[in-house]
Amino acid sequence: MNSIKRREFLRWGIATSSLLALGGTTPLLTKVAGKAETRTKILVFGFDGLDPRLLQMWMEAGKLPAFKRLVSQGGFRPLRTSVPPQSPVAWSNFITGTDPGGHGIFDFMLRDPETYIPVFSGSATEEAKTTLKFGDLVLPLSGGKVRNLIKGRAFWQVLEDHDIPATVFKMPANYPPVPTKQRTLSGMGTPDIKGYYGLFNYYTAEPIKMNEDIGGGRIHQVFVDRNMVEAKLPGPTNTFKKDRPESIVDFKVFIDPVNPVAKISYQDQEFILREKEWSGWKRVRFHLVPTQSVSGICMFYLKEVRPHFKLYVTPINIDPASPALPISTPEGYALELEKKFGAYFTKGLPADTSALDHDVLDEAEFLEQDDMILGERKKMFEYEFNRFDSGLLFYYVSSTDQRQHMFWRLLDQNHPMYDPGLASKYGGTIENIYIEADRFLDRAMQRLGKDTLLLVMSDHGFNPFRRCFNLNTWLLENGYHKLRNPWRQEESSLFGNTDWSRAKAYGIGLNGLYINQKGREREGMVNPGAESDNLIREIAHQLEQVIDPKTGERAILHAFIAKDVYKGRHLDLAPDIVLGFNYGYRISWGSPLGRFSRHVFEDNTEKWSGDHMSAPEVIPGIVVTNRTIRAETPALYDLTATILDVFGIAKPEEMIGKSIF
Amino acid sequence: MGKAKIKLDKNLLERVKKYARLAGYSSAEEFISHCLEKEIAKLEESDSEEEIKKKLKGLGYIS
Repeated sequence: MNSIKRREFLRWGIATSSLLALGGTTPLLTKVAGKAETRTKILVFGFDGLDPRLLQMWMEAGKLPAFKRLVSQGGFRPLRTSVPPQSPVAWSNFITGTDPGGHGIFDFMLRDPETYIPVFSGSATEEAKTTLKFGDLVLPLSGGKVRNLIKGRAFWQVLEDHDIPATVFKMPANYPPVPTKQRTLSGMGTPDIKGYYGLFNYYTAEPIKMNEDIGGGRIHQVFVDRNMVEAKLPGPTNTFKKDRPESIVDFKVFIDPVNPVAKISYQDQEFILREKEWSGWKRVRFHLVPTQSVSGICMFYLKEVRPHFKLYVTPINIDPASPALPISTPEGYALELEKKFGAYFTKGLPADTSALDHDVLDEAEFLEQDDMILGERKKMFEYEFNRFDSGLLFYYVSSTDQRQHMFWRLLDQNHPMYDPGLASKYGGTIENIYIEADRFLDRAMQRLGKDTLLLVMSDHGFNPFRRCFNLNTWLLENGYHKLRNPWRQEESSLFGNTDWSRAKAYGIGLNGLYINQKGREREGMVNPGAESDNLIREIAHQLEQVIDPKTGERAILHAFIAKDVYKGRHLDLAPDIVLGFNYGYRISWGSPLGRFSRHVFEDNTEKWSGDHMSAPEVIPGIVVTNRTIRAETPALYDLTATILDVFGIAKPEEMIGKSIF
Repeated sequence: MGKAKIKLDKNLLERVKKYARLAGYSSAEEFISHCLEKEIAKLEESDSEEEIKKKLKGLGYIS
């Protein structure tokens, strides 16, 4: 049985596919592209979501000695983030040295004006266009494609032009990795083996109280029969078959009748887990047609044996030993790391926030998982840092972001989900991850050469997410949106109940508002030009006046008009208005997918309790470096210009930043 | 908008009337229309839309 390699997987158009011509198989120890011996080296740490206020507070309290030392050597500034401050937007500002008008990423989601349906903005998939149908088999004859939708060039491509070597580890929004000979491993946006941004599986013998298909996971009701459980692990869609079934791996769990122990068995694998034990990485092979299969990796966690059997399985990550989708450049880099460290997390943001949100994992279990991720990151950093002898090394850490999303509620007594009992145990989680970041920094600083420029950065800061604002309900209540059946307001999603012939505006994504414009939207009803422009200004003005009746505070500090705030050639992809929320506010859970809650405002009662969809001045990121910073208010895209400037490379015309030194 | 009649079993109609009244609908017709709309909406939501939602929910920002 052959395992499908990336190129074949793409050709057959399974899951999310499409081919980038990134070069052939490479030797196991990959070499970076540039040959120039640079006297200056640049080490960039990307700590996602590190907040300047928290950093300052804990530096002053003496808890972050390495950061303090670094500030004394050079400088520390809040870093102006993107509009809106969402990670894919912000990191794309850094990658390209432009703003969203230049790189075309305005939100996690963009909308298809033909269907009014949201789609992921970072990458696009095209399946094989020509196929041969043979009985119930479908054989692809042409290649599928997966494309990174960032416009413009990444700075490491510019470095490559000038023969400067670079290693770029897990850069968010770099999926699929842009074509380069530099060493890069794809980051946030890298899907699991199903093409989702994370789908865990949870098997429970307890009567299911929740929906079987929850956000980010699937709940399976199982039955213990004579100490045995039979279950199925779902894999990628099998596009070889006419009816496109989900591929499946059957597995069995044999429960010890006395001890809290179970044996899990599938394919050629058999292993024993104690209760509360993680399995480590396990390979799983999905057979698609008699001669082909796809390989993924996952971890099993035996949560409970009795009284109710409970087993959690992580989202099935792309197997780095045999990547079915493109996750590195050169292709062999992912394999090189696998040979060195064994299997590792390849999914873009690996911590399973959905499992914690739905009580499938508790706080301690989530942190155990995130500690594994952090441990992996530390080992791989050591490996890369030890061979970093020239050019640039960018190293990314996601745990700073993910833990702030999930544990802000235990730091903030005003949060609706604040729980004093949990706070006494986990209230220090965010502080601890800042301390971990400090240790990362300390290890690097101790061995840093005197000519090495050290840049520590984050893409945005953080703030509490206490109150939800449903933009679509607000539009409805204010006459800008119309439903066919108003009594069904809360029942449908993806605008299934909208009367587009009468709807003037709609919200999609986490900060975006679009006018239903004639000639652009399928059923547009607002004329482009003056009518549309006046409507945009009217709605923007009204949004900035919206007061939350519970708190008396404004929910939206700025309703940015795209034409006024962005530069560049890709304004056609922008929402018409971008919402900049006030401290403590965010878009509601349902509005981004075209859902209408009964009330415009609601408390946020999820564990996902910290966020960063605010007006950019509310949540700047950070830059800390070992050189004096001359710029008073540096921005993300200024760091890109800085890197090129330090290497003596003239800034490409499309880049809008300036060196911070 | 045109109207059309449909036939219902008498027992069912009595139960419809009872629950329409209890649920606060103004008439049995309104209750029936609502129930049918709700069921049809489930059927109308295509597989691909469902896939889009599932795929995006893994990001953590929406539910």
